[in-house]
Amino acid sequence: MIVQSILQIVILVLIVVGAALAVWFKDLLASVLALAAASLLVALEFYLLQAPDVAIAEAGIGAALTTAIYVIAIRRTARKEEE
Amino acid sequence: MRKAILFVTFLFVSAFLLLGVAEMRPFGQPAVADMDDYFITNAQGEVAVNNVVTAVVFDYRGFDTLGEATVLFAAVVGILALFRKPKEDER
Amino acid sequence: MSNHGMSVIVRTVTRFVYGLIILFGFYVIMHGHLTPGGGFQGGAVVASAFALLLVAFGSAGLKGRLNLHWLQSIEEVGALAFLALAFLGIGTAFFYNLLANSGGFLFGASVPAGANAGVLNAGGTVPLMNWAVGLKVMTGIAAVAITMLIGSKKEETE
Repeated sequence: MIVQSILQIVILVLIVVGAALAVWFKDLLASVLALAAASLLVALEFYLLQAPDVAIAEAGIGAALTTAIYVIAIRRTARKEEE
Repeated sequence: MRKAILFVTFLFVSAFLLLGVAEMRPFGQPAVADMDDYFITNAQGEVAVNNVVTAVVFDYRGFDTLGEATVLFAAVVGILALFRKPKEDER
Repeated sequence: MSNHGMSVIVRTVTRFVYGLIILFGFYVIMHGHLTPGGGFQGGAVVASAFALLLVAFGSAGLKGRLNLHWLQSIEEVGALAFLALAFLGIGTAFFYNLLANSGGFLFGASVPAGANAGVLNAGGTVPLMNWAVGLKVMTGIAAVAITMLIGSKKEETE
């Protein structure tokens, strides 16, 4: 129980770090990858909270599909964020 | 000035979130559990489905799923209409 | 760049992996009434495999593999099948599960109470609705991704 609590705290801190990095990066591809990592960690947290249905949906939609659509969009536009 | 307003907003939102965390019930003990108990007890007998979540999504609350399917259909039709190739006489 | 997809590493890994992802998605849809998951989740997994193919190979590797009209048709068939299954029990109520516990050939078996391994031939309209929603979600999201890739390319060339 203690181990799971510590794991959840680590995962939640990493989610916040991933979200902050997604805002911080000027390279939009790296930003999208940070967002995908945060989304995967959210899916892991859902799994630890005993909601595997939501975890599968979050991993499929949040980590895979939005990343693919963002990558398609970045290919068509500029890769660097303008100052 | 703008940073001060942002900081005050940040403080307010964090205060509300922390208040919510302080008032949170323990994990697995919701305030009202009558509906959950009914689903967990009767889903296997009534719907003959082991996965109670699927029983709720497709049987007890099927109308919600119909709305979700409609939203997805509207999104797909909207994107197909947005990106379609214009015909020659429409330019 | 956009017509030829990504690097050799990405393309090789995609060739190894996308079949397994599609297989897992169909497993999630098929066992939606037994294991965690369901139509929406399995359809999203299969659509993510399609999106991986799109990102890795670009629009050039797509020619002749996925037809946009077929995808749209299958999506509408899934939506109509879902609605028809909902109307199947209209004699009692909308979304009434007519086939569950009927003892019939089509998903009519009963399951024992308590924890068990599950019966595949059970659930009435729930597995059929899983397939309908799964087909709808996978083809719908794949159509969205393909349309975004192809449609934005057209504007670039004009």
